[in-house]
Amino acid sequence: MPALSGDLVVFTIASLLAIGFALAMVVQKAPVRSVLSLVVTFFGLAIFSIQLAAPFVAVLQVFVYAGAILVLFLFVIMLLNLGQEAAEEDRRPLQKWLGLVAALALGGVLSGAALRAPTPKGMRPPAVVPLADEIPTIGRLLFSDYLLAFEALSFLLLVAAVGALLLSKRRFE
Amino acid sequence: MTGTLPGVAPMAVPPAAYLVVGTLLFAIGLAGALLKRNALSIFLSIELMMNAVNLLFLTYARMRGDMAGQMIVFFVIAIAAAEASVGLAIFVALFRARRTVDVDKIALLKW
Repeated sequence: MPALSGDLVVFTIASLLAIGFALAMVVQKAPVRSVLSLVVTFFGLAIFSIQLAAPFVAVLQVFVYAGAILVLFLFVIMLLNLGQEAAEEDRRPLQKWLGLVAALALGGVLSGAALRAPTPKGMRPPAVVPLADEIPTIGRLLFSDYLLAFEALSFLLLVAAVGALLLSKRRFE
Repeated sequence: MTGTLPGVAPMAVPPAAYLVVGTLLFAIGLAGALLKRNALSIFLSIELMMNAVNLLFLTYARMRGDMAGQMIVFFVIAIAAAEASVGLAIFVALFRARRTVDVDKIALLKW
């Protein structure tokens, strides 16, 4: 089936992009380059979201993550002028290796567990929504099943905005 | 487009592939959080880890045909936005006070 192989090609390209630029994000010394690499990773993740039948989440990921949060990061990096920090001498080689080993071990263990996890294939066809009905379904769920979490979240965002204002206010003495 | 039932149509890519990519991204994010010395880069790595978890949630939501996974992703994204605003404000305040965001130099609570 040509459609299936097309999906596979898109998946391969997106995963290569996502993982490659995530690695670039870790390797880069300059924070600005890290942020820009992460933007590409998030676009790869947005492609995955579309493939996983969640186009609204994909749009949200691009708008909120790439559009708002990472721009905020860039803004702060440029505000603090963190551009090129002097090449730090390696003060803790042991910790560096330990961190690398820990990350590799966790990645291996989690990937192994994910591969071995049973796929819920035998389940009855669940309550699915057509793609066109995705947004109305999300809206209905937000205001019914998840109403309390939604309201708590709106309050959390308000508190976060006020807190950010308070924290970054310059005090004149 | 309309009429396709995402939970019923077979997945073109095996779900395990998404799970492996998600866990690898999570591990890369962890490596960044452990290896970086710049507080902003550590924060950035944590954002990557949260997105990797989002991918896992979406994969399981797709596998089960359940909207709950997608709803959790919304909440994660919103909480990440709140966290980013407060965290970056803390870094700005920290930089004003100490002129650095290097976590090796900010060791007030360390022994």
